[in-house]
Amino acid sequence: MKLKDLRETLRDFWGEFRKVRYGMVGLVMFGLFLLIVILEPVLIPFPETGRRWRDITYWEDNPKNAAPVWVNWFTRKDYTPQAVLDKPEISERKAANTQMVEAVFTYNYKYDLPPIDLLLRATGKGLLNLAVHLERPDGLSIELTKKSIRLSGEAPVRLSLDKEASGAVGDFLKTYEDPDVLRGVSIFTVKPVEVFFARAEPGILRNPVPLKGEYRIKLTCVAVGSGAFLKEPALTVAGRVFGLMGTDASKRDIWSGVIAGTKWALLIGLLTSAVAVIIGVFYGVTSAYFGGAVDLVMMRIYEVFQSIPLLPVMIVVSAVFKPSIWTMILMMCAFFWVGSVRTVRSMGLQIKEEIYVEAAHALGASRGRIIFKHMLPQVIPYAFASMALQVPVSIVYEASVSLLGLGDATIVTWGQILHDAMQGGAVLQGIWWWIIPPGLFIALMGMTFAFVGFAMDTILNPKLRTR
Amino acid sequence: MYWKYVIRRIVSVFFTYVIIIFIYSALFNTVMEKTIRAQIGEQVKQEMMVQSHIMSAAELKRYQEERLAFHYKRYHLDEPFLSRVFWRAISTLKFDFGNSTIIRSAAGERKVLTIVGEKIPRTILLFTLATAIDIIIGVLLGMKKAQKPGKFLDQSTSIMTMVVYGMPTWWVAMILIMLFVYKIAIFPSGGLHSVPPPQGFAYVLDLLYHLALPLLTLVLIGFWGRAYLTRNIVLSTLQEDYIMAARARGLSERQVLYGHTLRSAAPPIATMSILSLLFSVGGGLIFEGIFSWPGMGNLYWVAIQQNDIPVLMGNLAVTTLFYLSGLVLLDLIYGVLDPRIKVGGKA
Amino acid sequence: MEKLAIKNIKLHYFTSKGVIRALDGVSFDLRAGETLGVVGESGCGKTTLGTALLNMPTPPGRIVAGEILFDGLDILKLNEDELRKQIRWEKIAMVFQGAMNCLTPVYTIRKQMMETILTHRKMTKQEAEERIIKYLNLVGLSADVLRRYPHELSGGMKQRIVIATALFLEPQVVICDEPTTALDVVVQAQIINLLKQLKEQLKLSFIFITHDLATEAEVADRIMVMYAGKVVEIGTNEQIYGPQRAAHPYTQLLMAATPRLRQKVDQLAFIPGTPPDLLAPPAGCRFHLRCPQVMERCRQEEPPLVEVEPAHTVACWRCGHE
Repeated sequence: MKLKDLRETLRDFWGEFRKVRYGMVGLVMFGLFLLIVILEPVLIPFPETGRRWRDITYWEDNPKNAAPVWVNWFTRKDYTPQAVLDKPEISERKAANTQMVEAVFTYNYKYDLPPIDLLLRATGKGLLNLAVHLERPDGLSIELTKKSIRLSGEAPVRLSLDKEASGAVGDFLKTYEDPDVLRGVSIFTVKPVEVFFARAEPGILRNPVPLKGEYRIKLTCVAVGSGAFLKEPALTVAGRVFGLMGTDASKRDIWSGVIAGTKWALLIGLLTSAVAVIIGVFYGVTSAYFGGAVDLVMMRIYEVFQSIPLLPVMIVVSAVFKPSIWTMILMMCAFFWVGSVRTVRSMGLQIKEEIYVEAAHALGASRGRIIFKHMLPQVIPYAFASMALQVPVSIVYEASVSLLGLGDATIVTWGQILHDAMQGGAVLQGIWWWIIPPGLFIALMGMTFAFVGFAMDTILNPKLRTR
Repeated sequence: MYWKYVIRRIVSVFFTYVIIIFIYSALFNTVMEKTIRAQIGEQVKQEMMVQSHIMSAAELKRYQEERLAFHYKRYHLDEPFLSRVFWRAISTLKFDFGNSTIIRSAAGERKVLTIVGEKIPRTILLFTLATAIDIIIGVLLGMKKAQKPGKFLDQSTSIMTMVVYGMPTWWVAMILIMLFVYKIAIFPSGGLHSVPPPQGFAYVLDLLYHLALPLLTLVLIGFWGRAYLTRNIVLSTLQEDYIMAARARGLSERQVLYGHTLRSAAPPIATMSILSLLFSVGGGLIFEGIFSWPGMGNLYWVAIQQNDIPVLMGNLAVTTLFYLSGLVLLDLIYGVLDPRIKVGGKA
Repeated sequence: MEKLAIKNIKLHYFTSKGVIRALDGVSFDLRAGETLGVVGESGCGKTTLGTALLNMPTPPGRIVAGEILFDGLDILKLNEDELRKQIRWEKIAMVFQGAMNCLTPVYTIRKQMMETILTHRKMTKQEAEERIIKYLNLVGLSADVLRRYPHELSGGMKQRIVIATALFLEPQVVICDEPTTALDVVVQAQIINLLKQLKEQLKLSFIFITHDLATEAEVADRIMVMYAGKVVEIGTNEQIYGPQRAAHPYTQLLMAATPRLRQKVDQLAFIPGTPPDLLAPPAGCRFHLRCPQVMERCRQEEPPLVEVEPAHTVACWRCGHE
C-alpha cells in the first residue's frame, strides 16, 4: 500500500491544490522567502549582520535613524544618500623611510540636504602626517584639517571630518557669513560638513543654499618611519538617508537585519510546527486507537497542557534563563502539540469504528499495523494543513518573546528588531521604517502560510468548496 | 442522570486544575529562585555599602547575614523547596493568595486577591468586550458569506482573514499608535484614564476615550477568523438535506437561515465563542503593555520583573480558573444546544 | 385540463468542470387524481426533476428553459416570494428521499410541523395542533411523536411524519422521491399502502419517483421512463409492465433486469455499459451506445416522443416510425 497509495493521494491533492488561486500565491511567496534565505549573502550590504548585530563598530559609519533612500522620491528636497568612495586617484612617492601619498576623491553633490559627515578611512603604520583639503565647485579650496597620528603597528585609521574641521569652519564662516549672525553663535553648535556644502554667502548658517557640483577631497599623507605607509584610503559620505530600509538608533542597516532574520523565522516556524503536529498526530491516533483507560489518561494530560497558557510560561522561563532559540523552539513544541490532537483523535475514533479496521483485526493484522495502515494516511492531509497554519503562530510567539527583550541575543530576529524599536522610541518619534518592515515581514510570512494552509483546508473539506 | 454527569465533569476538571496549580507553583519557585537570590544578594550588597562607612568589618558581616536572612524570610527562601511548592499550591487552591512581596494595589494594599481583583475588570472591559464585538460581527459576517459562497464578499473577506492571520496585534497597535497618537493626535497614548482622572460622567467619557484605540485595534484584527469559521460551519450546514427540505416547505429565507441553519450550526459556533470569551480574561500581556493598560496581562509582566511570586500565582490561578470553567460550561450546554448529543456520551 | 403540464424543461448544473445537462427537454403531464411513476437509473435526472417542479434546483443548477404549468399557470414565472406563499407546500408538496436527514435535527417535531403550518395559514396554535394530530393519526402515529427529536425516531416513523407534513396543507400534487428506498420491506409495504389509501381519501395526484420497478408497479397509474436527462417512454401501468412488452429498448432491458419472484434465472440480466456523461452527452439518441437494437439513424438524430398507441408515447426510431 504505502508508497504507491501515498503518491496517488499526494498527486490528487496537488491537482486540487493547483486550482486554488490563493494557495498558489502562498507557494510563490514561500518560494520567494526561500530565495531570500539562500541569496542572503548577496542581498545584504553588511554580510556579517548575523554575527555582529550588536557590535557598534560594525555600523559606525552609518547615520543614525536615517530614513530609506527612496524617501527622496516623495520629498521635494533630496536628502544625501550614503556613499562610499573607495577608488580615489592615488599618486604615491617613496623615499627612504618616507612615503608620500596623495589621494583625490571626486564626489558629485547633487542634493538639497548635505551629508552628515565625511569619514576617511585607511590603514597605516608609523608617524602619519595627514592633511585634508576640500575643493569646491565654486573654486574655493579649504584645508579641512591637519593632524599627525602615530601608529606603532599596522592599524586602521579613521577620521571624522565633521569633528576635525571645526577650526576650518570657523575661519570659513568669518569670511563669508554675516558678522551679526556670527556673534550670537557658539562654534560648537556649527556642523562643518553642512556649512561646506552650501553656497558661500551670508545666511549660510541659518538658510544654507546647497552648492551642487563636483567636489574634490584631497588627502595627503606623509608617512615617516621605518616601514611606515598609508594604504587603501576610502571616503564614506555619511548620508541622511540610507539603504533600502533605513537605519535604526544604533546605526544598523535595517534591511540587512530584516533579511538576516528571515532564515530564523522560517526555521522557527517550520521546525516547531512540524514537530508539534507530528507529536500531536501520533498522540491523537494512539489515544483513539487504544481507547478506554489509556484514552482517558491521555486526554487528562492533554487537558492540563491545553489549559496552561504558553506565553506566560515562556516568559517566566525566558526571563530567568536567557534561553537560546532552541530552547524556545523546544518549549513551543512542548505546548503546541495539543492543537491537532482533538481533531486527529476524533478522526481516529471515526476510522476505528469503520468496519474495515475490524476486518483487518479479524484477519490478524497486528495493532501497530492497523494504526499505521489505516489511520495515518487519512490523517496526513489534515496534518499538513495543520502544520501550515501553525507556522505563523510559532513565528508570532517567538516575536512576542523577543519583543519583550527575552529573545536569543546571539541572533537577529524580527521580534528583536521591533524590541529595539520600542526601546529606541520609534513609535514616539515616528521612525516608521524601523517599525513597519520587520512587522510587515512577520505578517507576510504569516500570510504565506495562511494562504497555503487555508487552501489545503478547503480541499480537505469538499463540502466547503464552491464551484 | 444529567446531574451525575455534571458532578463528574466538575470533579475531573478540578483535578486538572490542581495539577496545573502545582505545576505553576513548581515552575515559579524553581525558576525564580535563582533570580530572587541574585537580586537579594545585590540588594544586600547595596545596603552594606551604605552601612560600610559606619560599621566595622565584623559588624558588617553580621549585618549582611541579618539582612540576607530577612530577605530570605520575606521571599520564603528559608523553607525547603518542596514544602514551598506544596504550601504555595495549597493556599492558592484555597484562594488564599496571601500578600504580594512588593506590588501594591491602587489603594496601597498588598493582598494579592485585591490586586488581582482590581485588574480583572479592566482586562474584561477591553478584551472581553472586544471579543464579544468580534463574535457578533464575525458570526453575522460569516452568515452573509455563507449565503453567497464563492462570490465577491466571500472571497475578499476570506483573503483578508488570511492576510491578518499571521499579523501580531501588538504590531498593528504600534503602527496605529504611531499614526493616530503621535503623527495625528487623535487618541491618547495609553493608560486607563487621564491624570488626574476627571469626576462623574466626564470620567466615563474619558475612559471611553482611552478605550477607543486599543478596542478598535483588537476588533479590527479579531473578527476575520470568526467570520471565516462561521462561514464554513454555516456553509456545511446549508448543504444538509434538511435545509433544502425546510425551503421546500415554503419557509421564508429568514426562517431557514436564522432559524434552522443557525440553530443547527449553534453548537460549534458556541464552542468557539465561549472559549474565546473566557480565555480573554488573561488579557494580552504585550498588548496591554503597549497601551499601558493596567490589566491582568500587564500585572503579570510587572510581577515577573519584580519577582513577585504570589501575584504571579494569583494571576495565573484566576485566568486558568476562568478557562477551565469555560470548558465545563461548554460541555454542559452542548447537550442543550444539540439534542443529538446525549450529555455524558462520548465526546 | 391536466393538473400539471411540464413542457420542455431544461435544468442545467453550471459547474467548474462544465455544464451538466441534467434535464434536457423533459415534457409530460399529470392528470388530477392519478399517480405518475418516474423510473430510471441513478443519475438519469429523476431527483432533479423533483426539485425542478418546485423551482428549487440545487445550486449550481438552474432551469434554463421550459414551462411548468399548474392549472395553466406557469410557476416558473413566479418570483421567490410568490412561489413560497402560493405554490410550495400549498399546491405542490414533496416527500423526500432519505427521511433520515430531511428533518432538522435540533428542532422537535412539533416545532417543525407547527412552523410549517403557521407559515402558510393563519390559525391559532390550538387549531394548528389539532390539524397536525389529525394528520399524524392519518399516517398511523400518535401525538406522542411531537415532543421528540428526529434522531429519536425510527426510519418508518420519520417517513410517516414527512408524509403527514406534506399532506396537512392539503396540496393537490405530491411528489414522492424514493419514499421507501431506505426502509425495510415490511415498512415499505406499510408506507405504500398508506400512500394509496391517502390518495383515495384526499383525492391527490402523485408523482412517484423511484428506481425500484417493483414498487412502481404497485402504485403507479402511468409510468414515465427517463434516461440521461430525457424522457424515453410514457405509458400506462398495463402497457409498460403488462404481457405485451414495453416499446423502448431501455425499458425492456430494465424489465428484464428486475428479478421476478417466480422466475428462475441462471444469470441476472443487466444492461451493459454505464450511463452517459451528462457533460458531453452522445449525439443522436442518448441510449444508442448501449442499445441492442441500435440503427444508423439512432447515432445521428435524436428520436422525438411519438404516440405508438393511445396513451403510450415512445422516443425511439424503431417505434412508430415505420
